[in-house]
Amino acid sequence: MINLNPNIASLNPTIQPQKTSGVSDDNTAAFKKTVDTIKQQISGVDQLQKDADQSIADLLTGKNEDITSVVSAVAKADMSFKLLVGVRNKLIEAYKQTMQMGV
Amino acid sequence: MKVDTFGPIDIAVSGMRAHQKSMEVISSNVANARTADAGNGRPYRRLEASFTTQSDDPVTGVAIQKIVMDNSDFQQILDPGHPQANESGYVLMPNVNLPIEMMNLTIAARAYQANVAVLKRYQSMVETTLELLR
Repeated sequence: MINLNPNIASLNPTIQPQKTSGVSDDNTAAFKKTVDTIKQQISGVDQLQKDADQSIADLLTGKNEDITSVVSAVAKADMSFKLLVGVRNKLIEAYKQTMQMGV
Repeated sequence: MKVDTFGPIDIAVSGMRAHQKSMEVISSNVANARTADAGNGRPYRRLEASFTTQSDDPVTGVAIQKIVMDNSDFQQILDPGHPQANESGYVLMPNVNLPIEMMNLTIAARAYQANVAVLKRYQSMVETTLELLR
């Protein structure tokens, strides 16, 4: 399930001011945790996409004749995918800006 | 209070499903408005869908509780040539009143549209939120 809680700090406890000692270890652990969180989000979105595909297939093959369940599955998949794409675009943009930084 | 992102979708879809079923019941009533023998020697009895909430939670969707029979009196129509006519030439006809069914049909169609409107508006609301990411 996608959490639209606007309070980022509660969503991702890894974003915290870093201590000066052992910075690289802390950073690696924090990065790993962030990657894991993103992985979970992506698999959640993927599951919703699969559900939508399955319900469309069931409708077309006549296994399920309830069109409203297809509407609901597709709406959920669409919504969560849009959120995922939004987050991805934001990340890519941040990466690009970091790369363009003059040293 | 926890906000369920997909809650409005599920509730709107439950409304669509319930009113779809109620439209099915209405179409059965209209189709059988002149069914003098519903297989048991009696005329067809008008049906009505009764709604209930999906759960005990105050914010919840709608579900069809059951489909109940309308126990009002059958109509009597003078038609001596009808196979089911009695000695005085009257036939018992279903207690379906077509103008009322048309009214219920409009109510069901409008309620369905209203649920679709909620779904659409919620989708555009979420999209507006996602615009903030850009």
